[in-house]
Amino acid sequence: MTDLTAHPPRGRRYAEITGEITRVPLDFPQRRNWWILFSFSLLLLLVFIVSAGVLFTFGVGVWGNNIPVNWGIAISNYVFFLGIGHAGTLISAMLLVLNENWRNSLNRFAEAMTLVAVTCAGLYPILHLGRPWLFYWMALYPNTMTIQPQFRSPLTWDFFAVLTYLTVSLLFWYIGILPDLAASRDRARKRRWQVFYGLISLGWRGSAFHWARWRTCYAITAVIAVPLVVSVHSEISLLFAAGPIPGWTSTVFPPYFVLGAAFSGFAVVSMIAVVLRHAFGLYAFVTDRHLDLLAKMLLTTGLMTAYGYCIEVFDALYSGEKQDIATMFDRLTGGVAWSYWSAVICNFVPLQLLWLARVRRNPWLLFLISLSATIGMWFERYMLLVSSLYRDYLVSSWDSYFPSFWEWSLFAGMLGVFLTPFLLFVRFLPMMSAFEIKEAVFEQEQEGEEPRHA
Amino acid sequence: MSLRDGHNGAVGARIGESLRGKSGRTFWRSLDELAGTEDFRRFLEAEFPSIAPDAGSVNRRALLKIMGASLAMAGLAGCGGETDEEALPYVVAPENVIPGNPKWYATSVTFGGYAQPVLGKTHTGRPVKLEGNPDHPAAKGATDAFTQAALIGLYDPDRTKAPLHLGRATTWSTFDAAIREQAEKLDGTKGQGLRLLTGAVSSPTLQRQIGDLLRRWPNARWHAFEPAQETTRRDASRQVFGEPLDWHLRLDKAAVIVALDDDLLGPGPRQVHHGRMWSERRQAFHNGKAACTLLVAEPTPSLTGTMATERLVVPHARIAILLAAFAQALGLQSGVQAPLDEAAKAFAEHALERCRRNPGAALISVGAQHAAELQALALLVNERLGALGNTLGFTDPVIAEPPDGSASLEALVSDMSRGQVGTLLILDCNPAYTAPVDLDFADVIERVPLRLHAGLHHDETAALCHWHLPLQHDLEAWTDARAVDGTVGIIQPLVRPFYDVRSKHVLLENIAGRFDATDRDLVQATWRTAWGQDFDARWRDTLYRGFIPDSVLPEKAPTFNTNPITLPQPPKADGLTVLFRPDPTIWDGRFANNAWLQELPKPIGKIVWGNAVFIAPALAGKLEVENGNEVRVSQDGAAVTGPVWIVPGQEPDTIVLTLGYGRRISGEDIGGGLLHELGYDATPLRRAAGPWALAGAEIAVTGNHQDIASTQYHSAMDGYDFVRTVSAPDEQAAEKKKQPSFYPNRKWDSPSWGMSVDVDLCIGCNACVVACMAENNIPVVGKELVAMGREMHWLRIDRYHEGDPADPAMYFQPVPCMHCEQAPCEMGCPVNATTHSPDGLNQQIYNRCIGTRTCSSFCPYKVRHFNWFDYTADDPPETQAARNPDVTVRQRGVMEKCTYCVQRIREAQISAQKDGRILVDGDVRTACQQACPTQAISFGDVIDPESAVSRRKASPRDYTLLEEVNTRPRTTYLARITESVPGKAKS
Amino acid sequence: MPQIFTASADTRLRATALVIALAVVGAVLLGGGYMGSSYATLVGWVRHQPVPFSHEHHVGALGIDCRYCHTTVETSASAGFPPTHVCMTCHSQVWTGAPMLALVRQSLADNTPLRWNRVARLPDYVFFNHSIHVARGVPCVTCHGRVDKMPLMTRAHPFQMQWCLDCHRNPAPHLRPPDEITRMDWSAWDKDAAHKNYGALMVKAYGIQPSKLDACTVCHR
Repeated sequence: MTDLTAHPPRGRRYAEITGEITRVPLDFPQRRNWWILFSFSLLLLLVFIVSAGVLFTFGVGVWGNNIPVNWGIAISNYVFFLGIGHAGTLISAMLLVLNENWRNSLNRFAEAMTLVAVTCAGLYPILHLGRPWLFYWMALYPNTMTIQPQFRSPLTWDFFAVLTYLTVSLLFWYIGILPDLAASRDRARKRRWQVFYGLISLGWRGSAFHWARWRTCYAITAVIAVPLVVSVHSEISLLFAAGPIPGWTSTVFPPYFVLGAAFSGFAVVSMIAVVLRHAFGLYAFVTDRHLDLLAKMLLTTGLMTAYGYCIEVFDALYSGEKQDIATMFDRLTGGVAWSYWSAVICNFVPLQLLWLARVRRNPWLLFLISLSATIGMWFERYMLLVSSLYRDYLVSSWDSYFPSFWEWSLFAGMLGVFLTPFLLFVRFLPMMSAFEIKEAVFEQEQEGEEPRHA
Repeated sequence: MSLRDGHNGAVGARIGESLRGKSGRTFWRSLDELAGTEDFRRFLEAEFPSIAPDAGSVNRRALLKIMGASLAMAGLAGCGGETDEEALPYVVAPENVIPGNPKWYATSVTFGGYAQPVLGKTHTGRPVKLEGNPDHPAAKGATDAFTQAALIGLYDPDRTKAPLHLGRATTWSTFDAAIREQAEKLDGTKGQGLRLLTGAVSSPTLQRQIGDLLRRWPNARWHAFEPAQETTRRDASRQVFGEPLDWHLRLDKAAVIVALDDDLLGPGPRQVHHGRMWSERRQAFHNGKAACTLLVAEPTPSLTGTMATERLVVPHARIAILLAAFAQALGLQSGVQAPLDEAAKAFAEHALERCRRNPGAALISVGAQHAAELQALALLVNERLGALGNTLGFTDPVIAEPPDGSASLEALVSDMSRGQVGTLLILDCNPAYTAPVDLDFADVIERVPLRLHAGLHHDETAALCHWHLPLQHDLEAWTDARAVDGTVGIIQPLVRPFYDVRSKHVLLENIAGRFDATDRDLVQATWRTAWGQDFDARWRDTLYRGFIPDSVLPEKAPTFNTNPITLPQPPKADGLTVLFRPDPTIWDGRFANNAWLQELPKPIGKIVWGNAVFIAPALAGKLEVENGNEVRVSQDGAAVTGPVWIVPGQEPDTIVLTLGYGRRISGEDIGGGLLHELGYDATPLRRAAGPWALAGAEIAVTGNHQDIASTQYHSAMDGYDFVRTVSAPDEQAAEKKKQPSFYPNRKWDSPSWGMSVDVDLCIGCNACVVACMAENNIPVVGKELVAMGREMHWLRIDRYHEGDPADPAMYFQPVPCMHCEQAPCEMGCPVNATTHSPDGLNQQIYNRCIGTRTCSSFCPYKVRHFNWFDYTADDPPETQAARNPDVTVRQRGVMEKCTYCVQRIREAQISAQKDGRILVDGDVRTACQQACPTQAISFGDVIDPESAVSRRKASPRDYTLLEEVNTRPRTTYLARITESVPGKAKS
Repeated sequence: MPQIFTASADTRLRATALVIALAVVGAVLLGGGYMGSSYATLVGWVRHQPVPFSHEHHVGALGIDCRYCHTTVETSASAGFPPTHVCMTCHSQVWTGAPMLALVRQSLADNTPLRWNRVARLPDYVFFNHSIHVARGVPCVTCHGRVDKMPLMTRAHPFQMQWCLDCHRNPAPHLRPPDEITRMDWSAWDKDAAHKNYGALMVKAYGIQPSKLDACTVCHR
């Protein structure tokens, strides 16, 4: 369908917009599929619990790690999930501040996705510890040992960065969803729904006072959130860049990581957008124009990441350091070259299709391209980590790394940790920001122009 | 105190509980059981190779069996350690034992019959460490890997704990009764049919006892069998001098050493002595005081070859021709005429030219595995070179000569087969496994009516005997033995035997029907007669020193009889030549149950927990095999099957097999019945005539694959400068300029610790590695965890090749923690678990570590090791008793690494402070430094310019490993000196 | 449309929120308090002992020197527990029949050690050396408290890292003449103005460098 037909009839009442959105949780159209998907994710969750149990009982030894490759999938997944988690804040806060109101139909579920992704990311560093029950030693707190965290360490900052990011995202998301929760409360028929929404909407009455305070609060949180978009993943990149290891010690890493994060984030958002709009017939809200914009963002960030790749190679060659060059060539041709080329191919070959407007507006093509980008980014994280560790300076310490069964199972389980809460969100909460959409429509009508946007 | 790292005791204990009796591997197994179906297993193997249970590999549970399953130990209850909660004081405090302060005793452990002098460190009666005896003239304070590992041999729980009769446990009284009766019979027949088979005997007391026995029973006979011995040299001297003599190579006096397939510096009883002498000469050369050239011609790389100034790759058979060429050049006839190829000719010319330049300071030696004729010719050549009395000395045999000389075992076997042996006592040797297979020892022994075996383990021979009598370990026994130089060591016990075992001296008395004497009495008896009046004083003095001063055998100046030597014509070399070597870490198999030695990387191959068929790259190329591919080495009928390991620098048509593995021990007697799973048994190919080489062998690829665990998979230096070389002692190895750094320049005040390792002295003998394990409670992890890259050695010896794989330059490089002044690990650790101490140490605090492993990721040297599982929870009480109480036993999930033996530093500082003196250079010696036979490791205060280490670091050869990373390591290296050899280009 | 909640619902919601907030803060404070409390540090807690040995009687009343029983305190890392026969040197003469000492006599009789429960106890990864502390003049009482006032032995100080470090980072105030090391009551000595700088002087005299005394490997190896 084309953009034009996607337009709602001009006279549509604002009420109907809210209605459309709150309808989804209240009389849920996709019960059967939802249950299938949900039970699947519960199964994965179970896998997670078992894998973590095994890990805690026997020690990190059940993984395939060794010296020199003492970090494995755990840490590369940590970076991967955190990367995905960047889309939410980027779309919401950044675009809010930039007053790009097309975000309004995407931000809600993007933020929700961010929350779960960051949770997954946050779990990994703790799981990979040798003595996980002591993880809190990374926190700053008064103790009887008079020892505090070591602030030169990137890990210490990880700890704070992820925690901050999680808190701010959570606040931002919850503040944003409040008015819609109230709206759902008012439209709910059944008693238990009314109570449920009533409680979590914290007695929102939509009075002018409420709105005034809400605005300030939302704006402030947004402004706080914006720097995090850049800071968090730059910080994570230091986990590698700070080490004097060939292939890691490079100043390009922070931007490289942030862009990669945004890239994978947009990819995941696009996938979700396509699926949701199809599943719940939200064509009116997630229009082809949204897909088009998403695709453009995807293309842009993708190309920036590509730039990162080129710089990486250039960096190694330009440095003239024998070891760096050796690592570079090993990435291209050595033992883990498969991950390098998978990353390059998945990330950039399909991406080029997005130059064509038709492709950008074709939901399923967009879905597939995003999927490949997501997978590609996973390979990239893996490649960056392993290729530098398994062959570092002394040839005598070279070794290989094969992820063990329990690393894979934990990864699968982590997808459960990702899916379960997100599905619950889709099921029970308004997944789009009705009032912000209305606002947008209103503003456009005020300007007397054809509302380009539901 | 209990040695567990009790941090978060509750949690730790809980984890420990759930892990106890489990391990990575067994866990997989149980996982499969969980899943049940065969399909699931196949699915796993297909999808996740890393968890597929690979057949034949030792699982950790099994590894623990190698050191024995746990059992109650009466003898150690007192020192096994009190729990955290309780304190158990003595009831009556023993004289001058101060709990917490170690006591040292001078004694020895024996290896191949020779005494290896040690100082034994004991804590409340519990031996925890063996160190070299600095006063001993031969060892001068150094030890080898075997000696260091003897400690854990003492605590080996698989040792036999009580006598066995027909395989069933019995008591000594039963044995006494039986043997008393037997003795009376023998009295009647003057010992008719009584045979005594021992290993190499240097013990004066044992010799005295054997003498008495034979005097009393003239019809009895004594035989001796030691698998790897220098019998050929003894025969040669009999041939040339008319009397059997021991040769003593004076490497410290030799400006030129030409070693023809002779591993002078390699593993064996003489390693420490030779290493010490060679390094003294080498250090004189460093100071420009003397020449020190080592020319080696050999078929397969040895430690000696690695250190050679010039190395020639030559097949085994052509050693004779090479020697003949030398002889001829010196005007000696040998009856062998064969052309030398270019390389050999060049080598011979260089060698001769150098020898002529250093009259009286040259030495030519031929490996003891070569025929007596070659040895004899070598004697004549040395005589021409004026070596005799200078670089080559002679004494009466240190190892007592059995009646039948080198053919002793053959004589016994023939007598047994003719049924002339009625009673056979086998004392501390294992011929059923180690004897060449064509002697059929295992079969003929069946014809002996009464067979007794005395030894530490119920081994192959024990299984064939009626009686198996457990012997004392050297560290719990009174005995004596001579060191390689002949110096007598009195061996005193460090601990009361904690099993129901007897001394070999007592047993010998028992055979003669006497039951009253103790081992102490018997040893004293020997010396009371020797010393007469001043026995008491000398005895006390000797126990204090650990050896009898000036007890070396008198130097002999033998006269030549001038019959010419004719060498046996070398066999026409068709097909491949198989060479047999004792295993460099478990020797002939006698250390097979010693986990420290099993996990010790073989110096050249760097493989652990097994042996391999060592072949040259060229042969591998021809066969199209790579490491681990299984091959079958055969020669008329007999065959050995094992995995291939490619050795650069080996002669293309040579195959090397090592002894000691593929044990035929069945059941759970030793190593939980696992020893036969490790490696292959080479004996089927060994012949009594020429047991060390076999010509005309064939090799075939079976198509199977066997896993080999190695600690170093890449050894080509790839044009890096990890090991730097200079062409003269005073040549600069690196330009000394401090690279710029963003870190503030820190001011260090004395003392500030540092280390210097001279790669020109390191012979890669591994003594330091085992010393480090013993000193720092380093856990053993087993074959498949090593294969996964999880070995725990704090100190590793990297081995590098450079240049053409057919004949590369080879180097050893010990790598401990570098204790970088600007350590990346310290920057990486989020919880301050690794920090820098004011005295320049890179500290690792186990109880603070949470196991993020960032330090290891950031470490350019990868010297850090991680406790992936709880390696210590399953330790049997014996192994726990061997632990050093001054070092924390690490918990699961923490990082560990070399600490420069900080416990020794602190101990030295405290005692210095208590005595109100200042710490002087040499007060602190690290375990590795103490053990090193060649003084390659120097440690001390780098601020004090006069300290030994500072003087080493001041040398122009001083360089930093990975200088470009600019971490400012405190451990630096001295470059290898390679005199440029004409006609041999370095890559 | 009917009301979902009663009028008071809002208040109750806020109340709940407040309670939760307080609970969190409370939990933190409680945790912190516990670590400092004698529940965690065991200060002043009497451990059961097989024989109710009274330091108050033996040290305080009889004035037996610490080193009579803890013989190795000056020579070894561990101060040492008295072997049974040390107890019996006196108790073979006095209180020979006392039922209280039955275990002691039995210990000597059948040569089984007494099983004391440790009071002053450090984790296995802490390597404390009595001899050097004694040699430098840190009196027993500094760590073990007034044992002469303890009928049954209790821990006098929290053996926590910060407590050790307080002294390691500033040893001067804790130094006393080594020859009086076992003296229990130092109040008179402290009052004497002449001793005001004693610690500082000894730090100089011994060349103690507090800057180096808090290196991790001083205690952890």
